[in-house]
Amino acid sequence: MANRTYEVMYIVDPETAADKIEKLNEAVGKLIEKEGGTVVRVDDIGQRTLAYPIKKRTEGHYVLFEIEGTGQEILELERRMRVNDLIMRYITVRVDEDRKKADKMRAKREKRVSQRAKFRTTTEESAPEPEAAEMEA
Amino acid sequence: MAENDFEPRERENFAGGEEMFGDKAPRRFQRRRPRQVIPDYVDWRDVEFLRQFIPERGKIMPRRISGITAKDQRRLATAIKRARSMALLPYVWE
Repeated sequence: MANRTYEVMYIVDPETAADKIEKLNEAVGKLIEKEGGTVVRVDDIGQRTLAYPIKKRTEGHYVLFEIEGTGQEILELERRMRVNDLIMRYITVRVDEDRKKADKMRAKREKRVSQRAKFRTTTEESAPEPEAAEMEA
Repeated sequence: MAENDFEPRERENFAGGEEMFGDKAPRRFQRRRPRQVIPDYVDWRDVEFLRQFIPERGKIMPRRISGITAKDQRRLATAIKRARSMALLPYVWE
């Protein structure tokens, strides 16, 4: 059942040193691999102003992981993130289902558009003249 | 009395008013405000997009104003709430 995709984002205290953040990211990646998940993407977004203060900080260092796995690694990861002092906040979002739905919707829409285009070519050949007459009048 | 009751109603129909399914004067259905295009996948990290649906106070724009579909509104609302919890968007603006 290793077929779920998650987005995990966390905010690191902005006052930690850059190499420490890097180490943390590495540790997160390693933990995921150890628990049987795979890291699809790591995005170190960097410093960003928070919309509201968290723990008296007005800025935060954002990091985003995209993970594929069973959910087991998420359990462990969240447990660790909860106790980590550097991580001010985190969120996990399961995205595979919503993406699948989005693909379905896109396919549906493309089909509809192509069908409409077919219809339009037949009408345009026969009907442009009355429209032009109306414009003149 | 029955006749009197009936007559004015018929006149109303002629004026092209209330009856929606009458074959004489079908009432034009008025669409709400022009719809924004909501992508198939509403990304909760796309702050620029979500900002469109947040007036000054920081509240989520109601559907009757934005005119988007109920389905889109639900997806949008969860995306905004996720973004809020990660301090990408404010809960309230002063």
